Amino acid sequence: MRLRLLALLSLTALIAVACDPGDPIDPEDPTAEVEETPPVDEEPDDPAEPTAGGTLVAAIGGDPDQLDPHTTTSSFAFTVLENIYDTLVQPASDLTMEPALAESWEVSDDLLTWTFNLRQDVSFHDGTEFTAEDVVASFERIAEEGENAFRLDAIEEYVIVDDHTVQFELNRVAPNLLEQIGPFAGLAIAPAAAIEAGTLADEPVGTGAFQFVSFTPGDSVEIERNPDYWGGEVPLDGIRFQVIPDEGVKLTSLETGEVDWIDSVPPEQVDGLAGRDDVVLGQVAGNDYWYMALNNDREPFDDERVRRAIAFALDIDVITEAAKFDAATPNETAIPETSFWYHDYAPFGHDPAQAETLLEEAGVSDLTIDLMVSGEFPETVTAAQIIESQLGAVGITVEIRDEDFSTWLADQGEGEFDAFALGWLGNIDPDDFYYAQHHSEGAFNFHGFSDAELDTLLDDARVETDEDTRKELYDAAAERIVDQASYIYFYNPDIVTAWAPDVQGYEVAPHGQRRFNNVSLDR
Amino acid sequence: MAGYVAKRVAQSLLALLGVSVVVFALIHLVPGDPVRTALGTRFDQELYEVLRARAGLDQPLVVQYFDWLFRALQGDLGVSFRTGQPVTEALMQRLPATALLAVSAVLVGLVIALPAGIISAVRQGKVSDYVANAFSQIGVSIPDFWYGILLILLFAQTLRWLPPFGYTSLLEDPVDGLQRLIMPALTTGVVTGAILTRFVRSSVLEAMNSEHVRFARAKGLPQRHVFRHHVLRNAWNPIVTITGLQLGTLLGGIVVVEVVFAWPGIGRLALTAVERRDYPVLQGAVLLIAAAFLIINLVVDLLYAKLDPRIRSS
Repeated sequence: MRLRLLALLSLTALIAVACDPGDPIDPEDPTAEVEETPPVDEEPDDPAEPTAGGTLVAAIGGDPDQLDPHTTTSSFAFTVLENIYDTLVQPASDLTMEPALAESWEVSDDLLTWTFNLRQDVSFHDGTEFTAEDVVASFERIAEEGENAFRLDAIEEYVIVDDHTVQFELNRVAPNLLEQIGPFAGLAIAPAAAIEAGTLADEPVGTGAFQFVSFTPGDSVEIERNPDYWGGEVPLDGIRFQVIPDEGVKLTSLETGEVDWIDSVPPEQVDGLAGRDDVVLGQVAGNDYWYMALNNDREPFDDERVRRAIAFALDIDVITEAAKFDAATPNETAIPETSFWYHDYAPFGHDPAQAETLLEEAGVSDLTIDLMVSGEFPETVTAAQIIESQLGAVGITVEIRDEDFSTWLADQGEGEFDAFALGWLGNIDPDDFYYAQHHSEGAFNFHGFSDAELDTLLDDARVETDEDTRKELYDAAAERIVDQASYIYFYNPDIVTAWAPDVQGYEVAPHGQRRFNNVSLDR
Repeated sequence: MAGYVAKRVAQSLLALLGVSVVVFALIHLVPGDPVRTALGTRFDQELYEVLRARAGLDQPLVVQYFDWLFRALQGDLGVSFRTGQPVTEALMQRLPATALLAVSAVLVGLVIALPAGIISAVRQGKVSDYVANAFSQIGVSIPDFWYGILLILLFAQTLRWLPPFGYTSLLEDPVDGLQRLIMPALTTGVVTGAILTRFVRSSVLEAMNSEHVRFARAKGLPQRHVFRHHVLRNAWNPIVTITGLQLGTLLGGIVVVEVVFAWPGIGRLALTAVERRDYPVLQGAVLLIAAAFLIINLVVDLLYAKLDPRIRSS
């Protein structure tokens, strides 16, 4: 009896351990939460494309929590949903926005009324016709459900002009409206009737290249070709998204032919895979960025000199190499080189002597930093270890606090940190990169940064319609952010996926969206 | 006997109630909450309040508990905060895979442990004893996922005999199902076998050294007879107990092995629920695990009573 009592006790202890905030994180779902993988470029209409057929098996690293595009935050869910749903507009491979369900649009002279002309040849997977009513119902639901409501805050009102024309009335000029309403399937257009009926979570119904077949939680999602796809013939018969949480097993499964495509490649494996003939590696520079923020509400991090000293003391080349091997580009600003909005600005370099001088000027010695990271994003833990040693070299002690992400978020919300490291994913427009994070009123300015001049720049840039002037404003903003070390930027990671040689036509999109409507199997 | 059964069932139910209170308190004590986690880095206070109220999290904890208990007694464990799926449905979806793996692993474990433990006890101090001891020492010391990865490298990558991941119901496709079961069952079974071997050995040894066995030997009864009727009969009880415990533990999910082999079991469900602070799912999963434990305990106790009449009377 004693044994069994012991076992019950240990069961309870196990739960306690599992719930312990200091517990290392699970290997599943490494990107859930921060994702918001935006949509892909895809020019589906190629009538000459052969219909090869076949079912592609795609491995994804974790369970989609659910399949409702307006409420999920799981990147794994979006890998599936990008193939079921469409948006009004969508990002092309150069990150400009191109027509999708809206075939054209006009903007009024006062820039406050946008009129979208919808495609007339589109129907949902359940056979109902796609109309303006669906657009309005979808956007109203997105605003209500919250996950992406912030993207729509410039929109005051939706006006249905006729079945295939809808007007957005804005409360302020928003030059980046297209980037906000079409970056990924979180802004998907769903049928008004299904929204009304509340069935979207169980039964996804979109206009995309594939339609939903089944979802077995913990195991797989199956989708099949939409024979009436408005974007042209879809070569594949269907796709089975198989959940494989372990990175190594995922890669082995690709090598053994059990799966045809994998959603990510561990950075340390990228080199080894390049040049192999049994695996095709797809790697493009991505639009995400990883960074560290210091808590401006706490001394001495309210002192710009201390923040700058830390920036000088860090060698981001080493951090990048350690965290991502060759699969990322170090960058002292947020926006990657591949973007139109990139600004070539790197004032820090690696200068420990300068760091020590600044610390001395600020009168700071024996500084200890509580650095919050999460094992759910292993690259933040690796980066933290390098940061610890590099700051140690200038006499700063770093205490790494590795928390599970739920606890991490709670502490971030409460301001319980000296510093944290994380990434922002899926941004396209510079307003996404800067406003919410660095504006003193910004919704995600958790580190308490405040600079009146930057606020003005960001407010002006937000409503500036001339693209070159807008870029100048954002360049100036980027310089202020970097100079004052509001964020200390590390790198832009590459998007790396891999597939079997007989998979044809897959393109890796820089904003991380995964679409298979042009893919065929050559077997 | 009926009185004994009734008493044990009542005890089990009481224990279950206790577990539910402890778990409820524990998971709400942990920092981080489901709504904040769901909102991720895009946090908004107003929206947070709305979503919290929608999930009933703005109620006092005691109210939340009794509300949950009341519905649980009617078989309704609530719906997942994350997926909106009813918790009972989510658990039932995962239970077959977990049960299959747990039972297979215990079978593999017994196939290893019974001969290894008995031989090593009978030949105490001989080479075969050392071999069995070494196996069991190595088996319990090395983490199971490592065996799993080795097996995958050998059978999936190098030999290409077995698929490296996944679960297929044996009812749907027995051949594919078995192929996918072999590696996870071996991985888990080797560890289980290593643990069981030590218990089998020590129980057999203890029985061999007991007075009545020595007496039986002194009486000149044949070795074989003594072993079968006096040693094994007495060694059985602790072996049954520990096997039951192992099965209970495995039914709770074999998280790491489930992750390695992409096995859609309870362990991964519970793990995700912990991370996402998905209280209803976590609560349900733990309750299921506890219930499985208690049921197995009950069965073990009843077996015990059957195997050993002394227990019934005490």
